[in-house]
Amino acid sequence: MALPANLMRSPLPAELEFIALQQTDILIRPHFSMGKIRLLSGSYGPFRATANIEVPLWVGKYMKQQGKCSLIPPVWLSVEWLEEKLRQEISRPEEFAPLPFRFAEIAKVFLDIAADDVPSPERVRSLLKDLREVRQAKTRKGLALLDEMELRMTGLGSMEINELRPFLTRAMGVMRVLASEPEVPASTADNTFVTSMDDGW
Amino acid sequence: MDADYWSFESCLAEQARLPCTLKLDVEGHGHLLGANESDLHVGAKVSIPMWLAPTLILNDWLDFNIPPPFMQRVKRALNANARSVRLSTLVGNGGEWYGFGKLVADVLEESQAKELQAVLLTTFKERFVDLMDQAQHFGGIPSSAGADSMGDTGADFREGLEMTERELFLLAQESAKAVRLWYESTDRKEH
Repeated sequence: MALPANLMRSPLPAELEFIALQQTDILIRPHFSMGKIRLLSGSYGPFRATANIEVPLWVGKYMKQQGKCSLIPPVWLSVEWLEEKLRQEISRPEEFAPLPFRFAEIAKVFLDIAADDVPSPERVRSLLKDLREVRQAKTRKGLALLDEMELRMTGLGSMEINELRPFLTRAMGVMRVLASEPEVPASTADNTFVTSMDDGW
Repeated sequence: MDADYWSFESCLAEQARLPCTLKLDVEGHGHLLGANESDLHVGAKVSIPMWLAPTLILNDWLDFNIPPPFMQRVKRALNANARSVRLSTLVGNGGEWYGFGKLVADVLEESQAKELQAVLLTTFKERFVDLMDQAQHFGGIPSSAGADSMGDTGADFREGLEMTERELFLLAQESAKAVRLWYESTDRKEH
């Protein structure tokens, strides 16, 4: 195959970030006024200085990097909300607290380029890190229940799923082979050699 | 560790040899079975590579014994604590314990095969959570999680991994690394 092995197994974190940039809409507060702009992906604007407007995250990111707007962080990217979720996460050891599916990517973009728009970014950062660690510990516990047929873990974010994917699919493949019925060559009286191999999976 | 024709792992697993006893005289072809003399008689001991064994066994030309990596002694050790058994020493470096085991199970009778498969599966399940843990925390990722509970047993465990597990270890390590690098990367403009 043309792709290197590590690209075939799962999307890269950067690719997931790219998807999140396309799919997420956020509010920005422009520092300038301008009419509607029409791009292939849609029309954005008209922009008026200090009036909040909804645009895709990638537009917001681009403008922020040009110093043309400030980003308004989503409700969940705040100390209170995250503290609440962390409490939930710890108090209910058997399930994952519901977070936005692409929370890791969106939070990373915000804290990376727009840390000055997020209230107390350091605290948010450390809360996210705590959340990540608690959830990793849960994942580990969930994995112990894995069998060759299925795995149920509800509430994982896309980044977390992606991190598990290469390992998990391989591991389940191995288990499936180990649990599979033997496929033996038919016993033959003559010397016909029959392949003993599966067709693969 | 799959039965794919093109898989290197399954080729390697098929290289493992199965100790067998002949059930018929083999005149002049002893060398082919890896013996020193050319005439072999009923009851002679030969070891047959795993890719050849099923055909010969099912044609009732050979009797075979369960090979050492899957004997009772090993099973008892696995029962006691699957994580402390060094699978790599059982099948030699670069050996495929699971792949070999599955091939052996395929030629066993049904009840025995079921039992061996159960052993393989339980062993795999009991080891692979630790395996992932180790992979995520090994390689200079500063984290409190893995270090204190594992300590030195971690190194032992890693050395005891057989080929399939090593492959999985690498997979988990790589994706952990990719995520870590992503978290550390930045699009901020340099000032």
